[in-house]
Amino acid sequence: MSATSDRPFRRVLIANRGEIAVRIIRACHEMGMEAVAVYSDADRSAAHVRVADHAVRLGPPPPGESYLRIDAVVEAAVSTGAEAVHPGYGFLSEREAFARAVEDAGLAWVGPPPAAIAALGDKLAARRTAASVKVPCVPGTLDPAPVDDPDEVDRVLKAAREVGFPLLVKAAAGGGGRGMRRVVSPDELPAALLAGSREAASAFGDGSVYLEREIMPARHIEVQLLGDADGTVVALGERDCSTQRRHQKLIEEAPAPGLTEQERRRLHQMAERLGAAAGLRNAATCEFLYDRDGRFWFLEVNTRLQVEHPVTEMVSGVDIVQEQFRLAAGLPLSERVRAAAQRASRPTSHAIELRISAEDPARVFAPTPGRITRWVMPGGPGIRVDTAVEAGDRVPAEYDPLIAKLIVHAEDRAGAIERLRRALDEAEVGGIQTTIPFHRAMLDEPDFVSATGLATTWVDGHWDGPAARLPWARAALLAAGLVAIDEGAAPAAPGGGGAPPVPGGGSAAWRRGGRAMAIDRWPS
Amino acid sequence: MSGQRAKPAIAAGTTPPPRSASERVAGPLPGQAQEREVDPRAVRATIAASTRLEGDPSMTIEPAPDPATALVGRDVLPTDDPVVDGAQLPARLERFGAGRARLTLADHGEPVRLPVVVGEARTDRARGTIVREVVVRGWRIEVEVEPERRAMLRERARRGAGAQAHGGPLEVHAIIPGRVVAVSVKAGDTVEAGQQLLVVEAMKMQNELRAPREGTIERVGVEVGQTIEVGDLLVVIT
Repeated sequence: MSATSDRPFRRVLIANRGEIAVRIIRACHEMGMEAVAVYSDADRSAAHVRVADHAVRLGPPPPGESYLRIDAVVEAAVSTGAEAVHPGYGFLSEREAFARAVEDAGLAWVGPPPAAIAALGDKLAARRTAASVKVPCVPGTLDPAPVDDPDEVDRVLKAAREVGFPLLVKAAAGGGGRGMRRVVSPDELPAALLAGSREAASAFGDGSVYLEREIMPARHIEVQLLGDADGTVVALGERDCSTQRRHQKLIEEAPAPGLTEQERRRLHQMAERLGAAAGLRNAATCEFLYDRDGRFWFLEVNTRLQVEHPVTEMVSGVDIVQEQFRLAAGLPLSERVRAAAQRASRPTSHAIELRISAEDPARVFAPTPGRITRWVMPGGPGIRVDTAVEAGDRVPAEYDPLIAKLIVHAEDRAGAIERLRRALDEAEVGGIQTTIPFHRAMLDEPDFVSATGLATTWVDGHWDGPAARLPWARAALLAAGLVAIDEGAAPAAPGGGGAPPVPGGGSAAWRRGGRAMAIDRWPS
Repeated sequence: MSGQRAKPAIAAGTTPPPRSASERVAGPLPGQAQEREVDPRAVRATIAASTRLEGDPSMTIEPAPDPATALVGRDVLPTDDPVVDGAQLPARLERFGAGRARLTLADHGEPVRLPVVVGEARTDRARGTIVREVVVRGWRIEVEVEPERRAMLRERARRGAGAQAHGGPLEVHAIIPGRVVAVSVKAGDTVEAGQQLLVVEAMKMQNELRAPREGTIERVGVEVGQTIEVGDLLVVIT
């Protein structure tokens, strides 16, 4: 086929950075479309700028002065003649105001319509929509809780007892755990409502909070939805994202292990009903909790492309980003998507994604920005690496620490885990600590390998980074010591050599050495 | 395959409890009999402060004992195994260039092969040590390596530091690396401030080391011909 006759747009702006910008630009190029990148000063020579056909500077590194500037991004799109804007994930992707600004400028928005973003972004509204189409919501309230009205205390406590303790106070506008408070007993409730509301107001500009039962232990299972302008919404399959830490996903896979075909069909149909009722178009994800009794509870809808979309792509055979562009151009759902949706409850292969982030799993996943000195990613059958970094790049401190996604595709889950083990053993990253060792340890973890221990609380309850590191630290000591002996680093080694060089010599060297000694503090 | 999944033997508690460094340092100074049991090529590997976690170990590694030594009655059999914290450990390191290496450990007879990335050596001038980044199983660990003999002297120096603070013995440390070409004093000598203690040759220059103050030489930690590193304890004056 001729790429240009088929292309939904001639030129597209990608309002994002990092691996997702590169992934979207790849889709553009495969469809014969030109890609316009935007960048902050921290990303002047970043991969998404290098691979794009045009690039526009937005401003200084802080997101508020660059990637979050609606005016600057829309202006960049208009001035470069882009016909559509793809927001990726994060940044402005779920801002109704941004979607509206793009459409008001006469450009196509690659995502759900602004009205759907608004309706589903308000979690209380989303819960009401779910309830209206008989999708079970996590038990809780459907209206904002009165926060500091003394006359209402009895009413809130009564509602709380109906929800059951422990419960969560959650922000209606929420996300990422902000505004969230865990409440174990009734006497803690008034303070938690106040604190959660205050945090939500400062984070989202909306202090509305509501009550939700804490479902625990539970798995996080979500459904990939695609919808077209005719109002057809289909489920492309589900993903299990239970391996997370403090609401941040670490490992995602498709399909969700252990579900029966009936469970899958029921889950997909619930998500489709909810999507259709909310007027969803383009791509979105409907998130659920799955409890030990096999019940699904609706959590929220994300009105954007997800980080973990590749696992669904591998299993369904659909390029979700390319489909997003076709849908944004007003085309109906493709035959390929409809066929994949038909098959979605009977998956025939398995994909797993590991998020490789600049974080230290031995130090409570603290960010580790810095210069990457070595970067070798695995290859071979069934491997996909979505990344935007290479050796020599600096991981900026200003943005998300995700630097790569390692995705494997195999016949079944056991094969995918084997493939991941060998893939991680091929990876070499130097200069910064990444989450690779966490993933490598999980691949040997019986709870994960058997899928019987999948739970959103597993990592917080089980991961002991320093203990996991210790044996490998000893191996590192041994390797470094053997290299030193090999190189004759010890002073009395036959043939000498290996003494650390001191520049100069003579009395100047003595003085320098003396200064060095003076500032030195031998560790006790 | 299953061997690769196991944790390395070095972690599995198959080695005897390490002989602590302080036990070793309790012996006499170099030049006296017991100290010779540490191979002069032995190194001390420690996790550098940049990547150290609380409770991280250090390790003393000696090359395989000379078979001749083994034959004259030491309690070891002649092998190629290095001695780690005082016990032989079946371990091999193959280096492939470009920083790549493979560490093979025997885990109850079954070999565990670990891909290892070894970074460029960088000299920590302040500490007089060599630091390398080592990546094993995705863990990025900076390892500081120094000669074991120096590490022992340094530890002893630290233990002596308390006495020094009370106007006690003064320890004279090497502030440049080099080779000792002359020792002008011996234990028991009295010295004047400014009197020559020893001469160190470094980069073809002879550097005279003089007494910082008057006193009595308590001990001399080096002998002629010995190579020294920055930080080595040379002389103690009381």
